[in-house]
Amino acid sequence: MPEVTLRTSTRDVLRLAQPRPRWFVPGLLAGIGSAVMAVALLACSAWLITVAAEMPSLALLGLAVVGVRAFAIFRSVFRYLERVSSHDAAFRQLAELRLGMFRRIVPIAPAGLTSTGRGDLLTRLVRDVDDLQDLPLRVVQPLLVAATTALLSVVGIWLIVPAAGLTLLVCLLLAAILGTFFSGTLSARADRELAPLRGSLADEVLEIVENLDVLTAFDALNPRLEQLAQTDARLRKAALRRSVGIGVQSAVVSLFAGAATLGALYFGVPALDSGGGLLSPVLLGPTVIVAVLVPMAVFEVFGMIPLAGSAWRQVRVSASRVADVVPTSVPGEIPVDVVDPQTLFAPDRAIGPVVLELTDLGARWPGQHQPGVTGVTLRLAPGDRVHLAGPSGAGKTTLAQTLVRFLDYTGSYRLNGVETRLLAQSEVRRMVGLCEQRPWLFDDSIRQNLLFARDTATDAELDAVLARVGLTEWSRARGGLDARVGERGSLVSGGQAQRIALARALLANFPVLIVDEPTANVDSAGADALVRDILTAAADAHRAVLLISHTPVPDELVTARVTLPAHTGGHLQGQSM
Amino acid sequence: MRPLDPRLLRYAHAARRFLLVGALLGLAQTLVVIVFAWLLTRAITFTVAGEPLRTIAPTLTALAGVVVLRSVLIWLLEVAANRGAAQVKSQLRAKVIAKIAERGPDWVASRQSARLSTVVTTGLDALDNYFARYLPQLLLTMIATPILIAVILSQDLISGFIVIVVIPLIPLFMILIGRVTQSVQQEQWQALQRLSTGFLDVVGGLGTLKIYGRERRQFDRIRSITEDYRTRTMKVLRVSFLSGFVLELAASLSVALIAVSIGLRLIDGALLLGLGLFVLLLAPEVFLPVRQVGAQFHAASDGLAAAEELFAILDDETTSEISRADSAAHTVQFGSGALLLDGVSVRRGATLVIDRLHAKFSPGQVSVVRGVSGVGKSTLVAALLGFIPFTGTLTLDGVTVPAGATRDWLAWAGQRPGLFRGTVAENVALGTASADHTGRNQSLVVQSLRWAGVAEVSPATVLGVNGEGLSGGQAQRVAAARAIYRALATDCHVLILDEPSSALDSDAEAGLLVGLRHLADQGRVVIVVSHRAAVVAAADNVIELQELTHA
Repeated sequence: MPEVTLRTSTRDVLRLAQPRPRWFVPGLLAGIGSAVMAVALLACSAWLITVAAEMPSLALLGLAVVGVRAFAIFRSVFRYLERVSSHDAAFRQLAELRLGMFRRIVPIAPAGLTSTGRGDLLTRLVRDVDDLQDLPLRVVQPLLVAATTALLSVVGIWLIVPAAGLTLLVCLLLAAILGTFFSGTLSARADRELAPLRGSLADEVLEIVENLDVLTAFDALNPRLEQLAQTDARLRKAALRRSVGIGVQSAVVSLFAGAATLGALYFGVPALDSGGGLLSPVLLGPTVIVAVLVPMAVFEVFGMIPLAGSAWRQVRVSASRVADVVPTSVPGEIPVDVVDPQTLFAPDRAIGPVVLELTDLGARWPGQHQPGVTGVTLRLAPGDRVHLAGPSGAGKTTLAQTLVRFLDYTGSYRLNGVETRLLAQSEVRRMVGLCEQRPWLFDDSIRQNLLFARDTATDAELDAVLARVGLTEWSRARGGLDARVGERGSLVSGGQAQRIALARALLANFPVLIVDEPTANVDSAGADALVRDILTAAADAHRAVLLISHTPVPDELVTARVTLPAHTGGHLQGQSM
Repeated sequence: MRPLDPRLLRYAHAARRFLLVGALLGLAQTLVVIVFAWLLTRAITFTVAGEPLRTIAPTLTALAGVVVLRSVLIWLLEVAANRGAAQVKSQLRAKVIAKIAERGPDWVASRQSARLSTVVTTGLDALDNYFARYLPQLLLTMIATPILIAVILSQDLISGFIVIVVIPLIPLFMILIGRVTQSVQQEQWQALQRLSTGFLDVVGGLGTLKIYGRERRQFDRIRSITEDYRTRTMKVLRVSFLSGFVLELAASLSVALIAVSIGLRLIDGALLLGLGLFVLLLAPEVFLPVRQVGAQFHAASDGLAAAEELFAILDDETTSEISRADSAAHTVQFGSGALLLDGVSVRRGATLVIDRLHAKFSPGQVSVVRGVSGVGKSTLVAALLGFIPFTGTLTLDGVTVPAGATRDWLAWAGQRPGLFRGTVAENVALGTASADHTGRNQSLVVQSLRWAGVAEVSPATVLGVNGEGLSGGQAQRVAAARAIYRALATDCHVLILDEPSSALDSDAEAGLLVGLRHLADQGRVVIVVSHRAAVVAAADNVIELQELTHA
């Protein structure tokens, strides 16, 4: 393997990907068995033929015949067992891997994942975690199998013709070192050169395809296509330059395979005269032939190593990407409970009315230098319905994420007079609920999407809450509570998703409810109706509602209005997931 | 799946050249394999016969030469395969992009644009493995296998016969097992799909789960969906590994059979050691390419699946009614009168979306087009832009505008901002040939931004892909500024904005409306598609699109 310095966090991730020995070893043993059988098949066949030519006892020949057949069959059987067993182990480890990742993501999500908060990057993260399965399957196992088989063969040949054994060892080592050196440095250099070109080509293609209407309408298509053709030509040229280096590794391995065979012949001939190694007195000619032919079979098994090398590079990239996204330590902007949840203010299940007070509150997203929101002073009491407006970029979403303690704050944020820093986050979230800008619906039924807000709710209660948010007809048309919402709510429109999210929040009965930009993904015809329905459904003498929205809100529906001033921090509106 | 799609050769010339070069290299490799086996056999028989090193030396030297030649050929074949892949990808990409450009925006809108782009970029990269690993082995199977069988037959009929019997069994079993695998997979497919996205569902919804205090309860769920995934996948894999098992078993057993039969005939003295050894060395080489083809089957099918999608685009021969070539042909000069729609009907596929619409948009007025969602407002805009055909007549100042003929008279901003990488100024001045940095253009950019109500964004601001770096509302107004710039710079008579204020707060919206009023005052036709009350209130003329009732 090319020498690399792995950061500890990457190493942690890799460690999680390697199955525990109990699961891993059976597949490894079967793999070694299969590889050894493959070498033994060639050795035994060659021996059989040369022995036969010397017309020995039939018993010895019979043994060889049985050996050849057995090796042929067991080689395939072991190979099958290896593949089944090692895949099973890798899948078992996948559960551990995903759990391990999840444990690390939980404390920082969702605000700590902002840089990856967009759906496609999240998908990337999940795929990277799954790709780590290649570590045992395509890296560790092939390396161990190839190394063990090579070692056993070297010892075997050394026993026949010591010098041939040493030649094989040297050839194997050189092939491994030079082979991985060439593939490592050459492909690393090529990747450094190609990756940015690939990236900009992909960006340009996406820009053209996505904005074909704009480019056509503004007569700007042809220059773009020419520019793309130039990028493509640069990429092609780089790829052609790279191709020269590509076969070098296979060529080197093949060269040393030949060298090992030649070496065995060269040393084998004098060995026949001088008596050779420990085993050779048994039957001189035939055993030497084995020493000559075995290197060919060994190098065939050895062919796994270069593939393992390239798999390793990919696994390492995935691992470091995972490690980047999921830091080992929680960034300073994300709150960490300072209190032990056990020794808390008596965690009172039935929560009464809550008064929320903000004084000069500020908050910042991880990795940003400027605060996302500053100087917010606000009081929400039961029965209040406040419309929070403000230009884009003023920090409305930042504020929402801060109030449910996804982000830490400066200044003061009190619930019923207690500074929330002193409360467990789960305690705060029992009092303050949030309907996110893009509510996440789970790929399940409507019932399950509602039930997790309060799992004791009866179907009648669920129907009642759907009626409150104006979804009765909609849910009936789809077959009631059992209707599925589709992957990422794909079967549900933006407005309906908001209504389901609101129904969920009403079921959980938060004393303080924050609704963040419910109309962001709703066409403007539906937006007014949605805002009206949300405020009507959420209105309750015991509940305080904070509606964050750029859509105008009629006066009769709210008790107060607050406007966040545009601030010059230059912070780009943080997208929650 | 066909092993080699003829369309690949038709659409990418580089593929043909690779096949030719690859075939020659494959032939050379096969000959080298035979010579190597022959020389090795010769060296071994000399050794067994007790010849001194001196006698064997010439053979060893020749063998060394062959070993070097073999390495060089391996290297050349890989180089050729990778060059072929790079060239073929480039050729296919160019063809598809040209096709997409020719098809036009409406065709793209009917597909997922992200999917299209992926197919043209990373999707095509799947062809790398197809070229580097699969095709060379396929070529070797076609070239090496028959030659080697012929050589074995010419040396030893019985061994040749064994090989001839076993070789066809391999594809036969693979097809049989493939069938079984397919039926197992089809049963499991949907379940597997859902399970593999299960983890994504939990991670993606983590924010929501935390709000409801449910995050801790997900550990069991992750474990159980992953376990479920494992059991189901293993069921499929067990069957598909069987095909590998059969391949290996057939290959090893026939080598074993050949070895045993040779051995037995050597005892009888019916065969010479040299001959037997030569055949034994060649026998595994016969199976090697076939086994590799089987092993690389997955790499190949990924690549071919990607190519398949490209071919589907390239083969799509449905003629687009509006061809891009026409647009440059006409240059009609229009006056500054009203834009008249007389009996304009637009279809999307078989559905009539707009039925004989009559409308008049007067210069100097801000006109609003409104109607419930799905009534066809954007379809109407696309028809005016010439992206979809319409019937009826469209006249500007009394002159008929032929469909899709020219867009000189029209400046437009769509529902999506559609901004590009580069500075805001570059975005705003998109497509106007004189997008240089002369004072006039700079001040026009500033003016356009101001009239779009987005003066707070500096023209020098650098945007990322998709206009990253601006908020949604800012991006929308910069897109409006781009249309305004075009109207001002190229003196377009008509300005159409499609839902320009859907992401704007009322202040920003008011700013934009002031700008639009300026443009109308200059004698332009200003058309805004919108539901917003403030926009409707500011309009001189409201055109209500009625929903068509389809029988």
